[in-house]
Amino acid sequence: MIPAHRFGLADLIAAGPRAVARYTGTLLAVFVVQTIVAAACMLGVAVVLAQAFAHLPMWDEAVDGNLAALMWCLRAARANFLASGGIVFAALLLWQLASWFLAGGLYGVLGQRPEGRAETARCFGASGAATYLAYARLALCSIPGWLVAMFALGAGMGWADPRIQYALTVGDLVVPLAVAFLPALAILHVVGTIGDYARVELTLRHDSHEPGVVMTYARTTLFVLRRPIVLVHAGLGWLVFALVTFGYAFLAQGHAMYGAEGAVTLFVIRQGVALARTAVRFGVMAGQVELGRTRPLPPRRAEPAGEAAKRA
Amino acid sequence: MYNVAVRIAALLVLLAAACGHDHGPPRVQKRPKPDGSAPLRGGGPPRSPRNASYKIEARLDVQRHTITASETLTWKNIGGSPVDSLPFHLYLNAFKNEKSLFWRTSHGAMRGAHASDTGWGWIQVESVQIDGIELVTKLHYTDPDDQTVAELPLDKPVAPGETIQVSFKFTDQLPEVYARTGYKGDFHMVGQWFPKIGVRAGPPGEEHWECKPFYATTEFFADFGTYDVALTVPSTHQVAATGVLVSANDLAGNMRTLVYRAEDVHDFAWMADPYMRMYSGTAKLEHNETVEVRVWARPEQEAFAQRHRDAAIGAIERFSADFTPYPWPIMTIIDPPPDAAAGAGGMEYPTLVTTGGDSVFMRPGIRLPEYITIHEVGHNWFQGMLASNEADEAWLDEGVNEWADAHVMTELYGPRRGIDWLGWQAELSDVFAAYFPDRAGIPSPIATAAYAFVDTEAYGAQSYANTQRALATLEQMVGSTKMMAAMRAYTNAWSFKHPTGRDLFAALAQGTGKDLESYIAQVFEQVGGVALAVRSATCAPAHPPRGIFDDGSDHKLHDGAETGSWQCEVVVQNTGTVHVPVDVELRFADGSSERRSWDGLGAWKRIEIERSAKLVEVVLDPDHVLALDSPLRHDERIEGDGAASLRAAARISSWAQTLMQLEGP
Repeated sequence: MIPAHRFGLADLIAAGPRAVARYTGTLLAVFVVQTIVAAACMLGVAVVLAQAFAHLPMWDEAVDGNLAALMWCLRAARANFLASGGIVFAALLLWQLASWFLAGGLYGVLGQRPEGRAETARCFGASGAATYLAYARLALCSIPGWLVAMFALGAGMGWADPRIQYALTVGDLVVPLAVAFLPALAILHVVGTIGDYARVELTLRHDSHEPGVVMTYARTTLFVLRRPIVLVHAGLGWLVFALVTFGYAFLAQGHAMYGAEGAVTLFVIRQGVALARTAVRFGVMAGQVELGRTRPLPPRRAEPAGEAAKRA
Repeated sequence: MYNVAVRIAALLVLLAAACGHDHGPPRVQKRPKPDGSAPLRGGGPPRSPRNASYKIEARLDVQRHTITASETLTWKNIGGSPVDSLPFHLYLNAFKNEKSLFWRTSHGAMRGAHASDTGWGWIQVESVQIDGIELVTKLHYTDPDDQTVAELPLDKPVAPGETIQVSFKFTDQLPEVYARTGYKGDFHMVGQWFPKIGVRAGPPGEEHWECKPFYATTEFFADFGTYDVALTVPSTHQVAATGVLVSANDLAGNMRTLVYRAEDVHDFAWMADPYMRMYSGTAKLEHNETVEVRVWARPEQEAFAQRHRDAAIGAIERFSADFTPYPWPIMTIIDPPPDAAAGAGGMEYPTLVTTGGDSVFMRPGIRLPEYITIHEVGHNWFQGMLASNEADEAWLDEGVNEWADAHVMTELYGPRRGIDWLGWQAELSDVFAAYFPDRAGIPSPIATAAYAFVDTEAYGAQSYANTQRALATLEQMVGSTKMMAAMRAYTNAWSFKHPTGRDLFAALAQGTGKDLESYIAQVFEQVGGVALAVRSATCAPAHPPRGIFDDGSDHKLHDGAETGSWQCEVVVQNTGTVHVPVDVELRFADGSSERRSWDGLGAWKRIEIERSAKLVEVVLDPDHVLALDSPLRHDERIEGDGAASLRAAARISSWAQTLMQLEGP
């Protein structure tokens, strides 16, 4: 094992492809769950929209880029669009709840390095279940950080709003947008990275030390702030995530897809993009586990006297 | 730590500086050369009665945003009845305090711009003289709270055909601009700034004064005349104004006097700004005649200035060809700085308009800036020349102009190219129609006085988009060629006069040779709209009658074997109040179609048809005649098709999945 102080960015990044190659099946399994949620969301939205528009060819024009037709459709079926928004919100909420289990499972697999499909599945499930509530409490610990980020965003937008409103060129727009969003994004990045390493710690030390969530979060905050490299590593992951997303958007621009086949093609291509992004996230998680393994052990939780006596 | 803080602060200062456009201190501008052209293109006799002419000398204080001025009005009574008092608009008092009608009806906000707490505006008349006799004590506001109209009783009535001269001395405090006129920083847009006489309206011998107070929704109405205006401004400032520049003289103290003359116009507006530059071009009319187009904009707005200039050139050429030639030699477009555009942009004056829409979000395929320019330039026809009463009949200039603008947009950019960006396409008039509330839900008809609408939203919808839709529908019904010819006849007959809605309708009826009374009454004068829809459409395999036929022992059972054809029934309905003829196109599975006509009488019509192929689609108004109605339910498929919904859902779920991946693994 590489000592913590010698753990470089290259080591963090290199852990990613290794993990993706070794646990491709696990990665795909998580992705399938995500695809199922996305597909369910798609079907739900499609049914709601079809209720309003299946008989109206104007909707076809709207989907194919007729802005006026889209506005007529939006006016006529507000309830259906609101219902679609509700379905998306429900999918996001469901995924948030599921992601604590899935992240716990992934960190467990990456930490314990099980061999064989059955053992990996057992490890995944056990780890996900064991850390689920701890992850939920961890999310509560992140709330102050989120509030600070929202405050920074509000302040930034307050400054940038008139400048954005009166921007004449893309150059005029870049600086206000950067001032508005970068501080908030930076804070969110730090908060997110602290959360990731805290999850690693809770997963790796769950069986041996049963660390407390708040204490782990506090210790991890210090750990992350003392090692800017972990922020760079996670930041690179988000950069690749963004490049994949915007690269696809750029390439897809101007390629209309018609008919039901078009919808299926669209869904399949976008799942490819989503898979690539999931692999990137998985790779970052693998690096985090490698580094997290080198952290000093947390203090063992003091056992209540009654419990110790009972065990004796 | 101190160093880090200093570096961050320096970086933020640099970033902030990079956001603004620093023009430096104002510099003395080169003295402009006189335009050298006659105020009317090619000279010639007066086009209008010129019964309200003004000579004004004004001095602008750019620090205090005030104007001190003297004015001599020469007014001729061209009516058939004597006049014993003169009413004057004092529009700037709309911005004086919260008791003005304008404030009470606008609540200090207009088109997204808001009044500032410190930028009040007013006009103070210090002297009014007739024949050298001071009469200012007799001048009184018709409404002490509002103060936008003042009346001067006359000792001796002005008889028909007589002329009177009235001299004023007044001071303007310009407001910080949020509704057409005022200042923003160094930019000054000066409109509605001098005492302006009302208009005698009504049948000969029974005229009355039209001089309405200034509401948020009312614009202007004035008589034609000549304007000789001398503007004294700092020589650091560029000036653009109605009419042509006759002379320019430098004065002591870095001041400059610019003298303008305009003929056959009913208003005079001007702009002063130290940083603007002129971007010029030429519109070519028939017989090799030209109009100089000048766009004034700050250097950072150059790209938009060029878009406005090209749009203005196209608009002048198209409006001149479609209606009547532009009669003046220059068209000036003011492109206000972005922070003043919401307040000062998008306003029309004779030979000078203000535009807007300059924003990074208005990419070249989004032609809203072009549209604003075309609309304002178009007002030089529909209100500039055809000087209708905007307070009483806002639709007559705004809506008719919108209808003409839609034509010009299509002629210049092609169909459905108002927005053509990132795969999205639309006609801007269609977007406006979809944006504004449906006319059926508005309790004020189109032909409502601007100040009498239930609210500003209703005023906007009816006066602009719904008038455009009503005229577009009429055009489709009578034929585009006839409609354009009738509109051309109307513009030629009523240019430099004060037409009313009745005059327009009479011209349209005469030009198209149609009886339009019923349509006009339903669409312009009554509340309600068209609400066409396919109520039901069914198809079943056709067969001869089945059952027991004949009596007694002759009972015969007919099982009526299917003939292989389809028996279809369609019910269409119009639950609106406006009833117009409509075509119904029935489309069949074999690609064939059949049209049926419905005269529009009654609220519904049943159509029965037997065909060899099954009915798959019913299209109401297949030629898109009825722009009045929402087109959403004009086209219905018999069998549902969820492919488009699936495609939309695939996109939506993809965005949702991206958010999911930001949430978790």
